[in-house]
Amino acid sequence: MVDTSGMSGHQIHGAGLEHVAEGRRKAGRLLMRAASALLIIVLLIHVLNLTGVIGFGFENWRPILFAYVLWSVALCVGQVFTRGELGYRALFVLPAVLFTVAMVIFPTLFGLYVGLTDWNLSSFDGRKFNGLDNFRTMFQDAFYWNALRNMVIFVLAVLIEYGIAFMLALLLSAQIRARKFFRVVFLLPFMLSPVAVSWMIGKSLLEFRFGPAATFARFLGWESPAFFGAPWIARISITVMDAWIFIPFVMILLLAGLQALPREVLEAAKVDGANAWQSFWRITFPLMLPVSLTAIILRIIFKLKLADIVINVTAGGPGGATDTVTSFIFREYRDRSNVGYGSLLAMFYLVLIIIVLTLLLSFARRRVERVT
Amino acid sequence: MRVSDYNRIVAMQQTRRDVLKGAAGAASVAALGASGALAGFAGSAAAQESLRVELLRIPGIGVGSPTDADWQKVGEMTLAPTMANVEEGEFQGVELTFLGLNNQNLHNFLFRGFLKPWEAYTGARIKWIDLAQADYNPRLQQAIATETVDFDIIEMGAPFEGDVTGKGLASEMPEWVMEQIDMDDYVDYLKAPVGTWDGKTYRISVDGDAHNFNYRTDVFADEGLAAAWAEEGGAGEWGVPRTWQQVQAATKFLDGKKLNGFDLHGYLDAPKPWGGFGFYFLASRATAYAKHPDDPAWLFDLDMTPRINNPAWVRAIQDIIDALPHQPADQLNADPGTTAFQQFLAGTGSMLAWWGDVGSNARTSDGSVIGDVVGFDILPGSDDVYNASTGQWDTLASGPNYAPNMAYIGWGIYVMARVDSDPVKHKAAWSAAAHLGGKDLSLWASAYPSGFQPYRNSHFNIDEWTAGGYDGDFIGNYLASQTNSYNHPNAAIEPRIPGIFQYYSVAEDELARIFAGEFGAQDGADRIAAAWDRITDQIGRERQVALYRASLGL
Repeated sequence: MVDTSGMSGHQIHGAGLEHVAEGRRKAGRLLMRAASALLIIVLLIHVLNLTGVIGFGFENWRPILFAYVLWSVALCVGQVFTRGELGYRALFVLPAVLFTVAMVIFPTLFGLYVGLTDWNLSSFDGRKFNGLDNFRTMFQDAFYWNALRNMVIFVLAVLIEYGIAFMLALLLSAQIRARKFFRVVFLLPFMLSPVAVSWMIGKSLLEFRFGPAATFARFLGWESPAFFGAPWIARISITVMDAWIFIPFVMILLLAGLQALPREVLEAAKVDGANAWQSFWRITFPLMLPVSLTAIILRIIFKLKLADIVINVTAGGPGGATDTVTSFIFREYRDRSNVGYGSLLAMFYLVLIIIVLTLLLSFARRRVERVT
Repeated sequence: MRVSDYNRIVAMQQTRRDVLKGAAGAASVAALGASGALAGFAGSAAAQESLRVELLRIPGIGVGSPTDADWQKVGEMTLAPTMANVEEGEFQGVELTFLGLNNQNLHNFLFRGFLKPWEAYTGARIKWIDLAQADYNPRLQQAIATETVDFDIIEMGAPFEGDVTGKGLASEMPEWVMEQIDMDDYVDYLKAPVGTWDGKTYRISVDGDAHNFNYRTDVFADEGLAAAWAEEGGAGEWGVPRTWQQVQAATKFLDGKKLNGFDLHGYLDAPKPWGGFGFYFLASRATAYAKHPDDPAWLFDLDMTPRINNPAWVRAIQDIIDALPHQPADQLNADPGTTAFQQFLAGTGSMLAWWGDVGSNARTSDGSVIGDVVGFDILPGSDDVYNASTGQWDTLASGPNYAPNMAYIGWGIYVMARVDSDPVKHKAAWSAAAHLGGKDLSLWASAYPSGFQPYRNSHFNIDEWTAGGYDGDFIGNYLASQTNSYNHPNAAIEPRIPGIFQYYSVAEDELARIFAGEFGAQDGADRIAAAWDRITDQIGRERQVALYRASLGL
């Protein structure tokens, strides 16, 4: 038996490792250094031109993008040249990393920088770094905190949506007639655009004057069926519309989970004399917890982005009762051209979401481990 | 008129007026060609009139909303001024980008039809950028701030002139365009300084905005309501309110009343934000209180100190708070689009301040049910007016104070400076803009749903409208409300300062909270004032003050 204990990881998985010729290695290094130098020079020219240090440069950022693409390609080729087989392996990950840097990490960092500036598009002086001023403004902004409070209410409604979705999933997992048909029908709302739902339901079906829902409500004796006229009824109406779209999403996740449950456990419970209620609470529900938590967390993420229905139907009203963080940021940015402050609000919200979801996931993991 | 017809007439060396006559009269081309006669001046004038009457009959008053075919027909019939300045195919290969609106399926939708014959004749092609009203301001501001102006022609309101012309982004209007569109025909308030910056002219007006007062004639002429008014101790005779005090009283009175079995409501407020444009509707309630005849300022002091929290504006806000409980139950969720198109034109409510679209839609839109029972006037006045310099309410010897709100100062067509470096593109862009701002075409746009209202002196010739099929009383009443607003000596004209919609948008947010009862009128107005001060500081107070004073003609 061969003793591999003294071998390095590369040696263990190093089948096919080859010797890289010095000339090839040098060419690879040269290529990467040249591309890096080009990228730095192009970037430097643009920055110096923008800051007025030199009198020439590029009209826009496009040359920097081209230089970055060139540098990325050179880096990938250079890895193969300098590291041989290991370089080839790096190509499995490197393009994705470079793409993520360009499309996620850089925009996030740039957004953070913009969030630390005073940038009103109408301002005569353009963008100005203002440190933590926007942060301080945010803490005194009643509209932002009102929107955050509304988000707590909207997120709590996810629990009710989950309950309804679970019931529907149980129904569709049972041996009912036309089961496949109902599965498709129940999924239809999720296929609709929230903007379309805003108009079809919020501005037509629930319309105070001619909407069928309002007419029916009058028939039932509600004299003034204004679904968006007072804070709580408006919140409920928005929640119902949003739930109508997303319950099918939660339902389909739960349905998949239900169908993956081990049948023998349920059958054993039945043999042991458990009734349906006991089977559900003692077996189905605990076994479904991992799927349930995934579904709830995904739904919360969707809910935290709630904006389109609110913008279209209530514009955040009445009196900010349905305003969401996203719809407020949208207004701050779009109507007031307040790019710097709007970006800071978005960044803060992102951090808040990450923290809340991390805590939630940690709590959920512990809870699931204990139950299962 | 078809291009081929035009060429035949040109070949016969007819005058422009004969050309117009040829366009208007049935089979006139053949007749003129056959006779070879040259029409005299009187005949030419008659042809001009004939063209305008024919235009107003497309598709005809009371036969429903015009379609794209109608818009193209109008564009074709009004092409003659373009032909006088541009050779056929002169702009072959030129592509222009046009940024405009798609509100109510109007604006750009019409422009496309109007410009189709122009494209066919000149050879140019137009690429369209359609924007919803609420997206307009951010799109424009982004383009300016990031120096990515990607359009050659823009449909724009005068309030944005500070942002665009003030930053050197617009192209100066050539002489030949001024002649082609006959700028002297504009109503006075649309002449300089509106449309100009540093003495240069940039704007082709296609609209003349003012809020006027729309009311239901059947409600205010009803004998049963008059009797009930007297019985309930209403002040004076039951009739159309002429002051905001009367509007308030009528609104409270009508709550709970019925007419022909339908629930009645009085004035319709629009408390729901509308991308900043909703602020105009508070302003229309406030101008009679806030615009003193001796003071050109009404929105800000001369040093940009907001007046929004002075007693005049607070009184207007309080009026809305007081009126809302007497309006339809879902009024808190009504924006101006709802009040005009889903409520007033559809028969809900008896009084509404809006742009002239309500009048032009009343008898020409499929959605209107009030065509025969709608009347128009300038905005209501007030028994007293706030004097910002003394801090007192003045009662004028002349009677109530009227101050029509020239809300938005009308849409205009502007050509961007980026075409200046290319002479062919420059001429093409200005030619397209001039076609849209043409004298005859604008008459049609004033008469039918278009998003635009009358803005030329020639639009107020009632005979033309009656010849086109309008009822004389109706149109006389409508046009009087417009012209009396435009020419009012105490008209409240909006400041053309950069970022004006930021002020309006912030105000909308605070007003929504006031109307929902979160805090009182004064408290809310103070919050708006503080927010406005922050915007002024952020944009640059010194420059804003200078531009504000310039916009007031100081």
